[in-house]
Amino acid sequence: MSAARKPVVDISQLRKTFVLHTIDGRSVEALRGVDLVVHEGEHVALAGSSGAGKSSLLKCVYRTYLPTAGSVVLTPRSGVAVDLVTLSDTELAGLRGREVGYVSQFLRAEPRRGPLDIVTRAGVYRGMPREQARDAAVEALRRLNLDEGLWDVHATVLSGGEKQRVNLAAGTISPPRLLLLDEPVSALDPANREAALDLIADLTHQGVAVLSVFHDLDAMARLATRVVLMRDGHIAHEGAPHHVLDLLEGVAR
Amino acid sequence: MGVQRQRLVPPTEWERDDMTHWMLKVEGLGKIHGLPDVQSVTDTGPDHATSKSRLTGSVVAAWDVSFEVAAGEALGVIGESGSGKSTVMRCIAGDQPATTGSVRLARVSDGATEILDLDGAARRRLRVDELAVVYQDPAEGLDLQVTAGGNVAERLTAAGWRHFGDIRARAAELLSRTEVPLERMDDLVGTFSGGMRQRVQLAKALANRPPIVLLDEPTTGLDASVAAGVLDLIRNVLEELGLAAVVVSHDFRVIEMLTTRCIVMHHGRVVEAGLTDQLLEDPHHPYSQRLVSAARS
Repeated sequence: MSAARKPVVDISQLRKTFVLHTIDGRSVEALRGVDLVVHEGEHVALAGSSGAGKSSLLKCVYRTYLPTAGSVVLTPRSGVAVDLVTLSDTELAGLRGREVGYVSQFLRAEPRRGPLDIVTRAGVYRGMPREQARDAAVEALRRLNLDEGLWDVHATVLSGGEKQRVNLAAGTISPPRLLLLDEPVSALDPANREAALDLIADLTHQGVAVLSVFHDLDAMARLATRVVLMRDGHIAHEGAPHHVLDLLEGVAR
Repeated sequence: MGVQRQRLVPPTEWERDDMTHWMLKVEGLGKIHGLPDVQSVTDTGPDHATSKSRLTGSVVAAWDVSFEVAAGEALGVIGESGSGKSTVMRCIAGDQPATTGSVRLARVSDGATEILDLDGAARRRLRVDELAVVYQDPAEGLDLQVTAGGNVAERLTAAGWRHFGDIRARAAELLSRTEVPLERMDDLVGTFSGGMRQRVQLAKALANRPPIVLLDEPTTGLDASVAAGVLDLIRNVLEELGLAAVVVSHDFRVIEMLTTRCIVMHHGRVVEAGLTDQLLEDPHHPYSQRLVSAARS
């Protein structure tokens, strides 16, 4: 099915070794040669115990962690493929947000701005006209059930779950071509979690390539088109969600 | 000897094309206090854990500092006190003469003019409408014996504004943009709180819409809540005016909030450069790692 679709990101022999100068120069291998391709409209969920390298992989793709070796070839909308590992900082900064997005568990550098403003700005940054961005922001915040009374209060005073929804709305409005999701619904109650998962499922239908980390298997089973099981910094298994998840549940029991 | 200022080389065709990208370009900037001798350079820096030369007694405050900043982009310069951050800023601004290196501005003769070669009067003229500076200490950027409106007006008259009504209207507009209550426009800046002085300093710096702004520890010394407000204001202004900014700070929170790229300085040298989030989450140089782990604990 995915064979006919265009690859959005092609990760090859990706390695990440941290050298900790503050602890006797000790080195820690987080990724030991990861190969993975994510296509248009595909949602690849990373599974595995903590420390397996899931978040490291997302951060290496976004280059919050600088990979030690290997390549991450992104094919942006322009069609001209670029290796994110070797791209200059300035060029990478230009692609971030627009072509490759990262939604973390937390709202970063908590801005003293209101949710509606934050989400609208994200849309404008990705090229939407302001009016249209505002409408889309209203729709996204409604969809995620964020109380309208909170739309113009500083995001710093919001609860963890409210911040997480603002973060998700900002990360998915006029979505980038490749979206990296790192536990984006971890702080949400069941009802709000449903709405958020629904929104994420829609991204796949819109053709966005998603690479995600969720801690719960239900979310993976529902959203993923493929599940990749990581162990000790490399890929141990990959396949259809039910196949890999059965394997995981077997281990868990 | 390598410490003589580089001569101006006419830009090539390719460089001209490239110039649309940067607004400010700094190359090989160096500042030595004392004998400008190459020996001072070879026995100072992070590898020698000092910026003072044992051989010559000279202090190499900054050496071989290079970076570019584009419009709409903020570059952070981070490091502890004495690392050379402010020296770099002061050499670019013209508050201190550089020992060597090159500083060019895209808007000044298409980036062909070597700023470091200009005389004092020409440097001061650049500060009016090309390259603004916001200092940690408002007393450096403001005349505390003059009113808020008067401080801003001074910058406007320097740029050729003559009509009193226009100047007053523009000053009021700028002060309200930086959230200074208009009823305080005619009060002496010396009577203002620290946070309010920084807002006036910002209004004055931006008076003639310079494309480049250098911010030296703009929120250091302010109460946390006041600092947050000033930081917010700076971020909004940088974003909305599409300025090219250099932000010097020892505070990671400031760097994280305002900048996309940064350089880390230690004993006068750049030890690491990268995207801000990468430098904060995955620093490589031993010194950057110590700096980050100290800030996080």
